[in-house]
Amino acid sequence: MNIRTIVSRPWIWGFAAAVLVWAIIMAISGQGGGQTVSLALSLAPYLVVVGLGQMLVITAGPGNIDVSVAPIISLAGFVSVGVAGSTGSATVGILAGIGVGVLVAVISTVAILGLSVPPIIATLAAGLVASSVTLSLANGFTAVPDPGLRQLLNVRPAGIPILAVAVAALTGLVILLLRRTVYGRSLIAVGQNRRAAERAGIPVARVIATTYLVSGALAGLTGALLAAYIAPSADLGTRYLLDSVAVVVIGGTLISGGRAVPVGVWGAGLFFILLDGLVNLVGWSTAAQNLLKGGLVLFVLFLAGGGDRAGGTASRFRRRPRTAAATTTTTGDNTHG
Amino acid sequence: MDNRGPRAGEPVVVAKGVTKTYGRTRALAGVDLEVRAGEVLGLVGHNGAGKSTLMRVLAGLEACDEGAVLVHGKEVSGAAGPRAEDFRAVRMAYQETSLCPDLTVAENIWVSSRHCLPRLGWRRAASDAVRRRLDEMFPGHGVTPRDRVEDLSLAQRQMVEITRASLVDRLDLLILDEPTESLGPDAARSLYDYVRTLTAAGTAVLLISHRIREVLSVADRVAVLRDGAVTAERFAEGLGEQDVLTLMGAHVAVPSEQDRAAARAAGDAADRPVVAELRGATGPGLREVSLRVGAGEVVGLAGLAGQGQQEVLERLWHPVRRDTTVVGTRAYVPGDRQRSGVLPLWSVAENLIVTAMRGLARQGLRRPAEERAAVGDWVERLAIRGGADAGITELSGGNQQKVIVARAFASTAELVLLDDPFRGVDVHTKTDLYALIRQEAAQGRSVVWYSSENAEMAHCDRVYVFRAGRVVAELVGEEISEERIIAVSFAESDGEQSNE
Repeated sequence: MNIRTIVSRPWIWGFAAAVLVWAIIMAISGQGGGQTVSLALSLAPYLVVVGLGQMLVITAGPGNIDVSVAPIISLAGFVSVGVAGSTGSATVGILAGIGVGVLVAVISTVAILGLSVPPIIATLAAGLVASSVTLSLANGFTAVPDPGLRQLLNVRPAGIPILAVAVAALTGLVILLLRRTVYGRSLIAVGQNRRAAERAGIPVARVIATTYLVSGALAGLTGALLAAYIAPSADLGTRYLLDSVAVVVIGGTLISGGRAVPVGVWGAGLFFILLDGLVNLVGWSTAAQNLLKGGLVLFVLFLAGGGDRAGGTASRFRRRPRTAAATTTTTGDNTHG
Repeated sequence: MDNRGPRAGEPVVVAKGVTKTYGRTRALAGVDLEVRAGEVLGLVGHNGAGKSTLMRVLAGLEACDEGAVLVHGKEVSGAAGPRAEDFRAVRMAYQETSLCPDLTVAENIWVSSRHCLPRLGWRRAASDAVRRRLDEMFPGHGVTPRDRVEDLSLAQRQMVEITRASLVDRLDLLILDEPTESLGPDAARSLYDYVRTLTAAGTAVLLISHRIREVLSVADRVAVLRDGAVTAERFAEGLGEQDVLTLMGAHVAVPSEQDRAAARAAGDAADRPVVAELRGATGPGLREVSLRVGAGEVVGLAGLAGQGQQEVLERLWHPVRRDTTVVGTRAYVPGDRQRSGVLPLWSVAENLIVTAMRGLARQGLRRPAEERAAVGDWVERLAIRGGADAGITELSGGNQQKVIVARAFASTAELVLLDDPFRGVDVHTKTDLYALIRQEAAQGRSVVWYSSENAEMAHCDRVYVFRAGRVVAELVGEEISEERIIAVSFAESDGEQSNE
């Protein structure tokens, strides 16, 4: 495998890092490696689901980020467990979790598109609304997660959790969404150059609205599943804010938008879960863990150089008059170089 | 800040055989020009004649490729590029003002004139100076030095810009680029009065304007710039507007001919079903514009740059106002391909098909086979070098532009809007694309085409010439010629001049 293939497949790095951390864990603990992988595969899907939503949002271009995912997860946890408890159906509970995620995303979308609020502020505000609702729900909350769903989430035939298979299928769907649907192509076009996409006849506002709603729905789904797997709590989603952005970036998705790498979210998700395991094994504090993760994200962004756009390197230097720039692109002769 | 100018008549800034090339575009092709102390030199020329480039070279903002620029007889166009010290006494007021919108008027003065302001108490000194100069140049200006530039009206900003340029300890040459474009008639008159006091003190003034009458009334000499060279230099005295237009390459319009043109245009357009229409559209940059686009018609929007043509395209692209009607679907070809054309991470094929994809898809799912066929077709038809799989940024500018044009025409849009898309594109590509436009129109597609190159308008069925947000002429068929367009885009009616 030559350098070109690695560069053109940025998701390889996440998996490589995951394998490396796995090997270190094996060396330190001396336990069977299969068990570690199985555990990682049962924890990673939650991160991957919320990460896929975040990936779509980040792909929509510079400035787009969804910081409401963490509060949505916490809120959806309570709502889904509560609804499942009162209706007796886990499916309705999950749907309620997704619905509440979409509702919060509607607030963000209206603020972003209707009021032209920057996405980070809009989703932060929507997240605050979600957390207040969560706090009032958490007060005197008595319902317990549906035991059937909890059991299902713990089923591991041959060591592979069913949830991991389901989320792998979901990832496949997202890949198809990005490659084969008009929405997916439009999203990638908007992320590369919003003005150009608008002039090419893409309904930019609709694409962006859809993206935030999907992200909200996926965060809601994560919350519903996570609450059934662990238990609903007010800080259920807290760690997923940094982690969801981190797995997207480490997975090879361009932070400046226009290139989404769904498989990379898996690699980076496994890496993060294994890293958690390793750090716990060594006995680091949560603070040190976060420090390490934050540093990793910055390091990856430094390596990526903020994106491989044609103008990416030029912008680091002093701006030159644009008249000349338009005509000095490479000529047609070396297109296959 | 007094103006101790040099002795009258002595050359202040001289350009000798100055050339300047941007990429493939030759902006200046050997300009010889002399600006003498105590005179007003008017500079006229059409779009792309090289006015802005020449100004930038004379003001020391840009080095020339060949030739020399002399300030007070001293050659200052060294290989290392122009040095700011040499051009300190040459100042320029820009058409699109160079002021920082977030700073106050006084702070802006500091930005451009700090070398002649005291270190301490500069704010006070700058405020006093700018207030005095504004009172002198534009009585009743209504600007205070503490106003933020952003809060000023367009006319006030223009006043501050001109004042900023004039505030310096020694002013040898003042370059005014379209200074009266956003000024009212009173302000314009008082500006030109001040210009005469400046020249009386020995300062030279270089006036660029497309208002020929204004130039003739103020300037001592007039230089005509055409295709990057000074083609004529005349004394303004005894020179008429028509003479200048003729020197610029304009064919002088005869009114009766114009009337006949309008009549014929009305007859011709009535034959075709109307695809798009503007009825007395008024708004930012537009004043009572009415135009019609028939099916299968190529309609040109001509005139000097920024006279409302792009606003018309914008109206047609987003037909939300009640005065605009567009039947059917639209596609847009942007002129600024880096900013609003190219999707940089994608290949030629992906860039080309992004618009047509929507029409080809079924239930939101793409149909790859049909897309590939369409891409293959267009890549072959326009001979896009590099083929469908090359990255778009690997292509030359001309080939990129072909892809952007193909993107619009590959869709099923009934109306295609062209926003000056062929600027900086080589001749061969242009010829291919002109042929494409005609072919597509023959198949019933309508095209609205804004171009800053008047020669391109010959490919249109009908041309609307714009001036200050109005349609000043409608040319049909054989009447469309570069000369006619230049003539009507400069000719000003008496009524218009007095209310601006």
